[in-house]
Amino acid sequence: MSSRNLASIALLAVVALATGFVLAGQVKAQLLTPSNQVARYQALVRSVQELEAANADSRRQIASLRGQIDSLESQAAAQSAATQTLKNQVADLRAHAGLVAMHGPGVEVSLRNGVPGPDSGNQTGYLVNFEDVQDVVNLLFAQGAEGMAVNGRRITPLSAFSGSAGEVVIDQGPPLTSPIKVVAVGDRNRMQAALDDPSALPGVRARQVQFQVHLTFEGSPDVSLPAYDSSLQIPHVSPT
Amino acid sequence: MSARPKTPRQRAIRVRGISVWMIALLVALVATIQIRSQAEVERSLIGADATSLAFLIDDLHRANDSLAVEKSDLGKQRAQLESGQAGAADQVLADEANRLRAIEGLAPVHGPGVVIVIDASGLTALDLQDALNNLAAGGAEAVDVNDRRVIMGVPVYQTSGGVTIDSAIVMPPWTISVIGDANRLGVVADLMTQQLRADRRVRAATYRVEADLVIRSVLTEKPFVYAVAS
Repeated sequence: MSSRNLASIALLAVVALATGFVLAGQVKAQLLTPSNQVARYQALVRSVQELEAANADSRRQIASLRGQIDSLESQAAAQSAATQTLKNQVADLRAHAGLVAMHGPGVEVSLRNGVPGPDSGNQTGYLVNFEDVQDVVNLLFAQGAEGMAVNGRRITPLSAFSGSAGEVVIDQGPPLTSPIKVVAVGDRNRMQAALDDPSALPGVRARQVQFQVHLTFEGSPDVSLPAYDSSLQIPHVSPT
Repeated sequence: MSARPKTPRQRAIRVRGISVWMIALLVALVATIQIRSQAEVERSLIGADATSLAFLIDDLHRANDSLAVEKSDLGKQRAQLESGQAGAADQVLADEANRLRAIEGLAPVHGPGVVIVIDASGLTALDLQDALNNLAAGGAEAVDVNDRRVIMGVPVYQTSGGVTIDSAIVMPPWTISVIGDANRLGVVADLMTQQLRADRRVRAATYRVEADLVIRSVLTEKPFVYAVAS
């Protein structure tokens, strides 16, 4: 082999070595950092999953406790007319507070994410958000809805909506995401007419055009609402 | 027939070719690792970033604490009913009725809270609904707007004459009285009034924290027409 060939091979080896070092540096500087980010992210996701599991477990326990209390109250009411009167009053109040499962004629409203616009960048207008759900719920209550549930979560007199883009948090629940189904019991003709009104729900309707956010509804002779299964505490309120 | 021996020049070309292929392989390997790693990050980050998750964890902790309090209270009610003491059931039922009347806005109530005053022209029912929802999310337990009791389900509606609450027009300024955790509500009221002051329709938006606020307005219970208990 000539000295020229040897020099070429040595040059290639040096280039390969340099490339190797540069790439190794790249691996350390860039690949390890995302790996750590992934690990941190996964730890956060695990925490959310654990908290959501605890949340679901607490809801089951609350529903079970309310059932046991109702049975004990019924037993007591069977032995006293005065207790029975009180029990009837409480049953009516519980029904109005959303603590009792209900059914009746009504509507089912579906909200689903649209598609991101080509120039929407980081905009989240194509996602169903908590304000959309809040607006639908308020519209239906304004049209005389007597009870409502969102994705099986019963609305109560103290209910509140919150969340970030694409996430809808109702009361103490884990976040809900599209598709969202709002079920309301009440005068279905009146509620359907309100949902049909093009001037109603301006925020959703604008995004129906821009992002193809889906809003559909259907009347039904009988829809069911579950009982509320979360906290209904008012620790700061006292009767006057 | 034996193979013809390679010349030194042929050997050199072969070595050079192998070296080039080795480098190409190395670059391809690293590029693949890099791309896969980034894809893994992107896949796992779909839906929420770490900050959103941190907020979600905070919300879930608060929600679970609230559920724990509810469980504890329900457990005490059950224990009282199981005690079999004379009048225990009546006491539990009477307490529950009073609590539910307060929740449903059927009884006057008092407690710590905030009073927000918004003087504006052109605010709509949606603005009031947003304000009421923000306060509910901030822990409002009883709410009154211009001497009208408001709970979720009371219609807040836009008419040509202005914003109505339960069919009655509420003219500005709106005085929103809210009972609940005064610290949390104070934070919410502060943010709300700051945002409102930046709105050109708003002439003034102020709030004050009260140690004991009285809400005397009440709602009348409406009987169900369509809904039947399951």
